[in-house]
This record gives sequence, C-alpha cells and structure tokens, in this order.
Amino acid sequence: MHAPVSDSEATPTGASGPLAPLQRVISMLNSIIVVLAAIALIAACVILSYSVAGRALFKAANYWQDEAAVFLLVGATFMTAAYVQEHRGHVSIEAFVGLMSPLANKIRLWLVDVASFLFCAFFTWKSWTLTHEAWEDGQVSNSMWSPPLAIPYALMAAGMTLLCLQLLLQIVAPLTGARR
Amino acid sequence: MSVFGIGIAYGAATLFAMFAGMPIAFALGAVAVVFMAIYMPSASLDTVTQNVYEEMASITLLSIPLFILKGAAIGRSRAGQDLYSALHAWLHRVPGGLGVANVFACALFAAMAGSSPATCSAIGSAGIPEMRKRGYSGGFAAGIIAAGGTLGILLPPSITMILFAIAAEKSLGRLFLAGIGPGLLLVTLFGVYAVVRFRQEYAQAKAVYEKSGTWSDILIKDEYTMAQRFSVLPRVIPFVLLLTGVMVALYGGLATPSETAGLGGILALALIALIYGVWRPTDLAPIMRATLRESTMLMLIIGMSLLYSYVMSYLHISQSVAEYIVAMHLPRWELLFAILLMVVVLGFFLPPVSIILMTAPIILPPLRAANFDIIWFGVVMTIVMEMGLIHPPVGLNIFVIRNVAPDIPLREVIWGTLPFVLLMMAAVLLLCFVPQISTALPDLVMGPDLSR
Amino acid sequence: ATTLKISHQFPGGTIDKGDFRDRLCRMFAEEVSKRSGGEIAAEIYPNSSLIKTVAQFSAMRKGALDISLYPMPYAGGEVPETNIGLMPGLVTTYDQGLRWKNEPVGKALSDFLADKGIILLTWVWQAGGVASRSRPLVTPDDAKGMKVRGGSREMDMVLQTAGASVLSVPSNEIYTAMQTGACDAGLTSSTSLISFRLEEVAKALTSGAKASYWFMLEPLMMSKATFDKLPKNQQDVLLAVGAELEAFGRKGAQDDDIEVAKVYEKAGAKVAELDLETVNKWRDIARDTAWKDYGGKSANCAKLLKLASDVAA
Ligand code: NA
Ligand code: NA
Repeated sequence: MHAPVSDSEATPTGASGPLAPLQRVISMLNSIIVVLAAIALIAACVILSYSVAGRALFKAANYWQDEAAVFLLVGATFMTAAYVQEHRGHVSIEAFVGLMSPLANKIRLWLVDVASFLFCAFFTWKSWTLTHEAWEDGQVSNSMWSPPLAIPYALMAAGMTLLCLQLLLQIVAPLTGARR
Repeated sequence: MSVFGIGIAYGAATLFAMFAGMPIAFALGAVAVVFMAIYMPSASLDTVTQNVYEEMASITLLSIPLFILKGAAIGRSRAGQDLYSALHAWLHRVPGGLGVANVFACALFAAMAGSSPATCSAIGSAGIPEMRKRGYSGGFAAGIIAAGGTLGILLPPSITMILFAIAAEKSLGRLFLAGIGPGLLLVTLFGVYAVVRFRQEYAQAKAVYEKSGTWSDILIKDEYTMAQRFSVLPRVIPFVLLLTGVMVALYGGLATPSETAGLGGILALALIALIYGVWRPTDLAPIMRATLRESTMLMLIIGMSLLYSYVMSYLHISQSVAEYIVAMHLPRWELLFAILLMVVVLGFFLPPVSIILMTAPIILPPLRAANFDIIWFGVVMTIVMEMGLIHPPVGLNIFVIRNVAPDIPLREVIWGTLPFVLLMMAAVLLLCFVPQISTALPDLVMGPDLSR
Repeated sequence: ATTLKISHQFPGGTIDKGDFRDRLCRMFAEEVSKRSGGEIAAEIYPNSSLIKTVAQFSAMRKGALDISLYPMPYAGGEVPETNIGLMPGLVTTYDQGLRWKNEPVGKALSDFLADKGIILLTWVWQAGGVASRSRPLVTPDDAKGMKVRGGSREMDMVLQTAGASVLSVPSNEIYTAMQTGACDAGLTSSTSLISFRLEEVAKALTSGAKASYWFMLEPLMMSKATFDKLPKNQQDVLLAVGAELEAFGRKGAQDDDIEVAKVYEKAGAKVAELDLETVNKWRDIARDTAWKDYGGKSANCAKLLKLASDVAA
C-alpha cells in the first residue's frame, strides 16, 4: 500500500523545484479547506442534534436538517479529496513493489498517477456539466426546504477540480526532477 | 463480445488496475468509465456524476463520517487509552484479555452503528495502538479489529439487512433478531481465537526471551489490586454516558437512526472537552484531520463502487452469473453452495450493499423454491458478505485499518484477518447444521414464521 | 432486434408473483416481445440495481435509460411540474385519476413531458394510507402533535398546517424510526406500507381503499430519445401494450389497498378507512397550502393544476 498516512502531517508528496510555489498555494488552499471541512463536519453533527432537541423540546418540524447535513458532508468529502491525495491517503494495493526495480516502480507509480488523473479529469468535467445543467434549469432538491441542487453539485465539481490539480502537480513533479 | 467475455474482461481489468497500485476509488471509477464508453450508449457517460451524487447524498450513508468522527474523538484522545487500561485492569487475568475486550467493544459499537467500516474505525483507532503497546503482533491486532468491525452489519441495526428485508419482502424485525444469535456466536469464536492466539504469541515471545534475552511487551504481567481495579472504574464512565446517551436517544424515540450519528459525534466531542480538556482548535486538529482523511477516502470508494456496480449491472454481468447458477437446477445444498460462492466472488470487488441490490432479486426465488428459510439465508449471506469486508482486493475494513495503523504492512494485515475469515466460514457451516442459532430468537419473540 | 432496459426501484419477482409494479414491467416486456415478433426484447432491473432511484428520470431524458416505472413526483426537483403527480387531495379515487388520460389535463401533461424527453406508456395511479404507531391518523384534527413522515414537500405542507411536526426520514429508516418512536406515523402507498413491514411496529392503519387524499402517479415512462429511434410499427406496439396494461395496474394497486388492510389487521392493528368527507377536509387544507405553492411555481404548473382540478371526482 501507499506511503504511510500518519498523524504527524509529514511529507506532502507534491511538486518541488520550479513548481514548488504552485504546490505551496495548493497546500495552503488545502489547509484552509480542511479547517472549513472540519467545521462542516461538526456543523452537521450540531444540526442533526439540534433537530433531535428541537423536536423533543418544541415539537419543531424537521424538514431541512437532514438535507443541510447531507450538503455539508458531501461538500466536506469532495473538497478534501485533494488534501487526502496530497498526503497519498487514497488507499491502494502495493503488491508488486518488491518485485520490481526502483526505476520500474517509479514508472509504474507515475503511470498510475496519470491514469488516476485521466479518470478524475473526466469526472470533473461531468460534474461541471451537471452543475451547469442544475443551475440553468433551476433544479432544486425535492423537499419542503428545496435548496438548489447546484450547491452540492458545485462543491463536488470544485473538489474534483482541486483533486485534478493536485494529481497534475504530482505527475509533473518527477519530470522536473523532484522526488516522489 | 458475450456477457461472459465482458465479465471476465471487466474483472481482469479491475484486478490489473488495482494491483498496478492505482488508488482503489480511482481504479473502480476508471475501469467502470472505460467499459461504459466501450459497451454502453454514449449518453450513459452523462449520468455518471449524478448517479454517484445520488448514491452519496443519503443521510444513512453519510452517517459514516459522523461515526468515524465519534470514533476518532475517543480513539485519538486519552479517552480511548483510559477505556482500555480500565478494561485491561479487569480482564488482565484472562490471557488475551485485551483482545477479548476489543471484540466486545466492536460488538457493542456494532449494536449502535449500521455499517461495518464505521464500527471498525471507531474501535480500531483506540484499540489497535493499545494492543500493540502491549506486545500484540500487528497482524493479530489488525485482524481482531477488522473482523470485529464486520459485526456492524450483522448485529442490528444494519443497513444491508434493511435492504435485504425489502428485497426479500421479509420481516425486518425478524431479520434483525435472527442476526443476534449468529452475532454472539461470532463474538464467542473471535474471543476464543483471541485467547488461543495470544497464548501462542506469548509462548513464542517467552521462548525467544529465554533463548536470546530479547524482551517483548507481551510478556509484561500486570498485577492490579482490587483497589486499583476499582479506582480505574470511573474512567469508563464517559463511555457509559456516551453509550447510554445515544441508546436513550435512539430507543427512547428521540432521534432517528441517522440523527443518532450526529448526536454521537457531538456527545463524544463534548465528553472529551469536559473530561479531558480537549477543546482547543490545536487539540482538535489531529482528530478532525484523521476523521476527514479516513471518511473522504472511504466515501470516495463507496461512491465509485456504485459507478462500478452500475456498469456491472448494465452489462448484466452479475445477473448473468446468478441466472447461470439458477439455470443449473442444482440440488438444494449445492444450490446454496453455488450462490454463496458467487457472493464470495462478488465480495472481492463490491461492498455488501451493492451485492444485495444486484443479486437478491435473482437468487431469492430459487432459494425459496428449494425451501430455504429466507430469513436464515439473509443472515448467512450477511456473514459471507462480512468476509468480503476483510479480504482483498476491495475490503473496506482493511482500508480502515490501513488508515488507523498505517505502519502495519498489508501482508501482515491480510494474514491477520485470514483466521477470522476461516472462523466466519465455520460459523456459516455451523448455521447450516444448526439453523436454530439464528431462528430460535425470532421464533421465540415473534412466533414461528409462517410466510416462507 | 432492439433490447430495451427497464429499470425500477421496487422489489423484483417473477411475472406472476411479487410486487405488481415489477410484474407490470415483466408483462410489458413479454407482450412487447411477442407482438413485435421478437424485434423488441426488454431486460428488467429491479431494486434500482441499474440506476439510482431518483436519477432514473434524468437518465431517461438523456437517453441513458430506456424505460422506467417511475413515481413521477420524484422528478419534482428537476422538473417542478411533475409534482402534480402527488398533489394532496387533487385526485381522490382511481376513477378520477385514470380519467386524466383522456381529459385536457392528460394531453397537457403528456405534451409537457414529451417536451422534456419523456413518453408516458402506462398510466398507473396508486392510493396511499397512513401507518401510525399509537393513535390513528385519519382526520386533519388527528394530526395535531404527531411526528409524521409525509414523504413529499406538498404532503409535508398540508401536515404541518394540520398541526403535525413533519419529519424527514429516508424510506429505509422509517421502520426503525417508528419502532423507536422518533416518528409517530408515516404516509406512503399501500404497496410500500406492506413492503416496509411497518405493520410490525404500527398499531393503526388508515386505508385509502375507498378514497384517499394521497394518490401518486407512477407511470411506465419511456425515453423519447429511444422511442424516436424506433420504427413506427414498433412504437405502435409499445404504446398499445402500455395502454392495455393500465387495467392491470389499476387492479394491482387496488388489490394492494385491500391486502394492506388484511396484513395490518392480522398483525393486530386497528384499521380505519378514509371516506370522501374526510378526504375533502384534507383537500381544503391542501388547496390553500400545497396547491397554491405548486400553482405559483410556473405558468405550466398553474395550467396543469387548473386542468386537473376540472376533472370530476
Ligand atoms: Na449494527
Ligand atoms: Na473484499
């Protein structure tokens, strides 16, 4: 499996060398997003608990809480995808590491990154078209609260875009002489 | 190409992408999209993102991050260590007592959570480091948690059982009750195994120590006086509070199942803030980072596995396998064996939810015709799907372990979970010979099931 | 030969046994294949095993899915006009619902959907009722203080005006929520009241067998993109078979209305039936809340609502 994901916030594995400034920007962006996502997670907990309390104490209706929690959690999930990739936290199976020479391994990992990038790029593209459609048609979630669907779609699309950028940096890094 | 050929190609491509080292989430998605582009109408490609979004935008599924948060809050603060020291103080005379304690902890949490990875993560983040600190081998510690975590879908409530009950048009209450006996059976088997394995590792470490003087922490013999044992008891109070708080909310009719996920998260954060003083942003940062990393990794795999199973479904692969088995007109037990074997194979690639959705409609009619008790079968199928959670290549619980304890090599994790897979097989076998393990409780509570 | 993919969200069975909506799809597939001389084949994907429940509509519009038996109001987020398919009190009997097809509202709705890329093959209406864990929920007055899962935006509005506190629970959690008491009552179709097994946790059932304020349009729909690609004679076969199955759909739904009462009675629940007078009380609330809300959404909504309320009960 991939490099350890430890607590100590070690070694982000992005670009260094000429692309270092760009990686720094993305890393900074990722750190900000992580804070926001953490807040979103706690907010989701608070909202769900509030819905329990509101019903028990004031017989309040619960018609937006579940959905709001879903939006927060979907947003937190997709927006932090790049952060997880920065730390190589998307698990994979590393069965052949021992069977190949270091150079062959390097090439393999590079190709893996390229393949991942291609898939994510496709997904990103389709997320934006979905967002665009939802925005144009004014699609809303079919509930009493009826928030626009373009919001969670846009979060998904933005998160995937960041993930693509991160992957791209990790692809370019070895070409510019940086260590993976 | 025939469905058979496409099926083989699909499986091979998946194995190739995964073993090449592609992250599981992207491998599943990429293979799905490539096959979609080749074999499906081009309009399908436009539906990819909406499908993934709809799969993920369910509050039932999204309670997984919240359960992970709850687990991380406890596991990554001193709260978790305190619980384990307390359990250890009481169970230290039992060889492997800490391992047994972990199995119990998994079972308890499983009774609150409907999903297996959530259970695995909640207990694992505290349990694995504690066991390893006391000298348990990495594989052993990982195996206990990975396997114990699978109880999440066997002990009620369970997401997959809900889906099965709907597909089978069977009583959910009955199915839930039917899972309890086998759940306890597995808890016992895992517990006994923990004791046996501990003795083995202990004996080995002792032999090594006597021969070469190399010390292992597993040899530490803790002694606790009765007073000491009681003095650690208050440390368990936070957990009792947390557990009862969530239970009261759920069974007292205050919260819906998904709301309890949020409530549990808040209660856990409140507890560590009040009792351990963990509330400053700097204290919370590692907890939140760990939660996000784990839940994002897991949710992306789940989302992409939907895409994967969608293509598999469209190309009629799993349905064809199921239909092929049905068409063989096998005798009763051979039919069951063939169907379970198929579930095992699908379990290599798919999480339990997808397996049920795709195969239940096709395999249930012949099982009914062969006069199998469908409730009983639902339980057996659940155990077989639990095995899929702890064996590669796609084993959600293994991925959770990878995140909780990244320094245990994958090889050790897999070898560590293997004995538990065998124990589960034994449990399935036992259930075939003594179905009452599962059916006695529902029959007792709800009366015999007349609607076969 | 053409192979059509038929998807739906309901439990799968066989052509003579199981959920009538699944059976309807299977009968459609068989009959279409027979009449087209094997030119058209169809594969059934139950349980949302092909496409996720809500997304089926948009998949049909894009041509990624051919046919679905789809609860029309599920598309309400994407195409708000479709919410007419579950407007509380707008349809109160099967006769009234099935009359839509040949009245101006049917034409208007079909044209509107065709414009959105959807063809209606078989009109299926389904009545619904209420399962409650303690006291029965029959009249609007009963709703006061109850925690109710309405299941749709419009129903929630009506319930809230009647004094209930509405609750959003995913359908697979209704059982647990009712068991624990987080939810006092749930509204859904008779068939779902059976398949969700709520009788195990319910003490009372309000049946819509005679009349109901809860009627959902759940037609067999087809992607216009796929439909337009077929030769005329095959299109005719699809439309003809679809129309012929309407009788089966009605019978299936009504059988379930009777069956649900039996199931709940057997489980020891108290069964009450809605009558037109009670239904009208709900209708009065709905007219001022849900209908108004819907009619204000767009000119199309207003027009459909007007035409639909012209259909005599
Ligand atoms: Na559980
Ligand atoms: Na697996």
